[in-house]
Amino acid sequence: MSPVILVIIVLLVILACLVAAFVMLGRGTTRFTFDIGGGVPRASGGNDSSAETGFKNRLLGLSVFAGSVIGALLLKLWSMQLVSADDYSAQAESNRTRTISVVAPRGRILDRHGSELVSNRASLCVVAKSDVAGDAIEVKLLANLIGMPAMAVKRKIESTSEGAQSMRTVAEDVSRRIVAYIDEHTNLFPGVQVTQRTQRLYPNGSLAAHVLGYTGAITADQVDALGKASGGSISYELGDTVGQAGIEYQYESVLQGIKGTQTVYVDADGNVLSTSSKVEPQSGSDITLTIDKDVQAAAEASLAGHIKRLHDAGRQDCNGGAVVVLDATNGDVLALASYPTYSPNVFVGGIANDDWTDLSSDAANNPMLNRAIAGQYPSGSVIKPLTAFAALNYGIATDASTYVCTGYWTGFGTGSGQYCWNKSGHGSMTLETGIVNSCDVVFYEIGKGFFYADDPEGMQETFRAWGLGSKEGIDLPGEAAGRVPDAAWKRDYYASYSSDDSSWKGGDDTNLAIGQGDLLVTPLQMCCVYAGIAMGGTVYKPHLLKSVDAAVGAGTVIDYKASETYQVNEADDNLSLVRRALKGVIYQESAAQASHFTTLPVTVAGKTGSAETAKSQPDGWFVAYAPYDAPRYVIAATIEYGGYGNEGAMLVVRDVLGQIYDCPDTSTQQTSSGER
Amino acid sequence: MARGTNMGEALGSVVRGAGMAVSQAMEKNFRSPRAGGSARSRSNFYRPQLLAALGLVAFGALVIWTASLTIADASFPRHCVGIVLGLVAAFLVWRYDYRVLGNASRALFIADVALMMLPLVPGLGWSAKGATGWVKVPFVPLTFQPSEFAKLATIYLMAALGAEYNGHIETLKDYVKLCAVLVVPFLIILLQPDLGTGLIVLVTGASIIICSGARRSWVIVTIVLIVLFATLVVVTSMTPGLPHLLKTYQLNRLTVFVNSSVDPAGNGYNLQQAKIAVGSGGFFGKGVGNATQAGSGFLPEAHTDFVFALLAEEFGFIGSVGMLALFAVMILSTIALAQRVEAPFGKLVLAGVATMWSFQLLQNVGMCIGIMPITGIPLPFISYGSSSMMAQLTAVGMVQSVWRHIPKTA
Repeated sequence: MSPVILVIIVLLVILACLVAAFVMLGRGTTRFTFDIGGGVPRASGGNDSSAETGFKNRLLGLSVFAGSVIGALLLKLWSMQLVSADDYSAQAESNRTRTISVVAPRGRILDRHGSELVSNRASLCVVAKSDVAGDAIEVKLLANLIGMPAMAVKRKIESTSEGAQSMRTVAEDVSRRIVAYIDEHTNLFPGVQVTQRTQRLYPNGSLAAHVLGYTGAITADQVDALGKASGGSISYELGDTVGQAGIEYQYESVLQGIKGTQTVYVDADGNVLSTSSKVEPQSGSDITLTIDKDVQAAAEASLAGHIKRLHDAGRQDCNGGAVVVLDATNGDVLALASYPTYSPNVFVGGIANDDWTDLSSDAANNPMLNRAIAGQYPSGSVIKPLTAFAALNYGIATDASTYVCTGYWTGFGTGSGQYCWNKSGHGSMTLETGIVNSCDVVFYEIGKGFFYADDPEGMQETFRAWGLGSKEGIDLPGEAAGRVPDAAWKRDYYASYSSDDSSWKGGDDTNLAIGQGDLLVTPLQMCCVYAGIAMGGTVYKPHLLKSVDAAVGAGTVIDYKASETYQVNEADDNLSLVRRALKGVIYQESAAQASHFTTLPVTVAGKTGSAETAKSQPDGWFVAYAPYDAPRYVIAATIEYGGYGNEGAMLVVRDVLGQIYDCPDTSTQQTSSGER
Repeated sequence: MARGTNMGEALGSVVRGAGMAVSQAMEKNFRSPRAGGSARSRSNFYRPQLLAALGLVAFGALVIWTASLTIADASFPRHCVGIVLGLVAAFLVWRYDYRVLGNASRALFIADVALMMLPLVPGLGWSAKGATGWVKVPFVPLTFQPSEFAKLATIYLMAALGAEYNGHIETLKDYVKLCAVLVVPFLIILLQPDLGTGLIVLVTGASIIICSGARRSWVIVTIVLIVLFATLVVVTSMTPGLPHLLKTYQLNRLTVFVNSSVDPAGNGYNLQQAKIAVGSGGFFGKGVGNATQAGSGFLPEAHTDFVFALLAEEFGFIGSVGMLALFAVMILSTIALAQRVEAPFGKLVLAGVATMWSFQLLQNVGMCIGIMPITGIPLPFISYGSSSMMAQLTAVGMVQSVWRHIPKTA
């Protein structure tokens, strides 16, 4: 700017000098008058003798001026209307066209037999043009009809989240009565329409809620992230509904269809004048899950029932649990239950504040958490088969090792004695009977053996080889890895404590051997461990996707191929020792326990577990597989603060087996409390 | 035309005699053949100019009719009323011996100033688009813009004064006085404020002064002074702390003129939309009634200030060239007539009218295509608005009057 001003000032000075010069030189003699009085005008026309010097040239100059004006305009018009016409036409076209996206129906989610777990339903929505917001009376009428505050109605109509040219959604899922009223009184509601949209429907309510997840409005961060994740084939925008949890989230790019577009002509105020071309939306693909709806339902019902029973029996903290049912031969997840649960339907069309408050309250005990994959618990005695493998592999014990249980173990000196769960003692034990009876003393000895062994972390290595401390890789978001504690971990974790307190102790080894202390596992991990034991060390990656069905016509686009996650190499003798022991748990540990399983048409192998907690009751565990000879089903159940494994978790597993083999549990025998 | 206000008794007598004259003139004059230089059989109408003007009026009526389909403010019947009133005024002026005005410069000056002041009279004035340039006609829902007619009065005034010098202004003093007379109506218009019309008055008057025989050096100095003053006004208006003679919107228009991409949603919007309308017309145009820019409301003032953009969008390059050709014929034939007329007063009137049309054409079309800044100047014969239509047709009458009153002794 400053150089321009400088130039202007210089020019001003020069021109001022010029002006002064002309004024000085010019001299006037004739007096200027308006009219010349009554005399003859000097040039009022008709006098041919008047001098015309210069007129001709001046008028010629005027012609040149007029000609150049027209020439300049022509030149510019030629450049605009001929040379750049296409460019301007494109601008004019983009001025008056707007593209509105048309939502594609989301793919359904089916169980393994094709039964609908998630589908879509028609929803009647009241929509309004944006200018309705300016009509206070109409807004008030609409608000009264729908039963919403007028301010809320106004705000919804003013919202541009669905695009400036789209109709604004005022209310979804309105009743037939409201629809009928609007249809009959169209004169009262100019610019208001009723349209049909598709909404997510979870026909079985809360069934498999944690597997299915829910949908919700896309967040600003997700717009880019999801678009990238889909490889650019789907373009997301604010206002879209996307999966926010579970399978809905995991397979978002499959379930989400490709939006159609509707091109409309608009005027300068953005009002739609007419519609142009339309690209039909492409609906999302259906997904078939490995879930068996009936097994899932049985697992959930049994879990909820037993938790309620235990809670009602005075175990106030017992208010959560999980069940995992796997097909050991391929990793199919047949059921995945978590308690407490919720209905994904509350999220449809945006969750209400009250519902959200309910779900997030302390009393609700975190129903959104999928405890089957994200709940981390001490394992209790269900870890003992792995401890046995570790002892056998690292030479701490053999199948011939014998132990004597007096009910109280003082292997690290009388000052730090530890009880077996059976305080009266199991007497003479081997490794196998130690598992059958869940004798803690046998495993305290193993823990002690590792503490003094050349390879003191053999137990941890074995646990990790079996997948503990890392995710199994199930196709659901939010899986937890659990924790296998070792000396290095303890040093870090208790870094702020004295070096004595943060060092690995013998007691840590004995705790680890019986699944207590700092060990954390998920129900899914324990289920995979037992699947591996059943399958001779082969663990298939647990998965929920069975196939993606073609969006058009029959057939599938993707069929899930079972993949082996890891192979644990255990000697056949060791494997059969452990398997025998697990069968013994079912049929030998106690008559009451056995009475629940003898009615089944197949032989079962399993293990109870009761992990001590900070609260009054332990976390109860039970993991089992069946049939014993040709393993197929693996079931893990855990109940938070539910007491011993055979008081709740075992009965849940039995109910699931009852569903699978169509053989309900008829035994009412209770195992005497205290058994692990 | 400002009937009976202050054009003097001469005009009054013409009005009285008009009724009879119309039918006679129609029969006699329209049929008479155009005969080269022969004075005896010469038509009473100067045809090239008249036909071009009527062609423009017809073209304009077509454009306004299409505009009236989508723009609520554009009433085609009103436009037609303007045309009819304008034709009547033109007829009266054609009959009138303009030469009488050559000796009435004082009356013309008073009439001019009075017309310019009219909107400023309390109770009469009516504002639109930021300027108080309209006068309410009592008892009818009509407003008219006296400055449109003041333009014509100024042409007669300056021509009458300039003609006194018979083609040669001898002294600087006389030149300065001529300029001073011109500045009076200009300044009054600026009070409304209507810079656009003011510029037309200034340019038209200046052209007459130049044609009257002002020395070239004086003219150059004057132009330089004007440029200097304008620069000064712009610079002070842009500098905080100094008095701002230009209004903010005027300054913004200038900024947008220099760089139209400065503010495409705000001040640059009108210009941008006008350019899109013109450019998207292409060679053949989008056809009558298919103008999307104007029809969907993207082009503002599509029937008034930006009517050329509408015309160019509907009729394309062919239509634009056709319109420019009609203007060219009209303007150049007017100047050619000025060459032929021997009396300086007639020459100067014609020069003034030709300049007015040229400048309005440049200003209006130029602003639609981005080569002139935006001002609210109507496009002669095309833009919607009765005052402008009547004034422009009156100007046609002025030209025809000069033709009609060429002494038959040539």
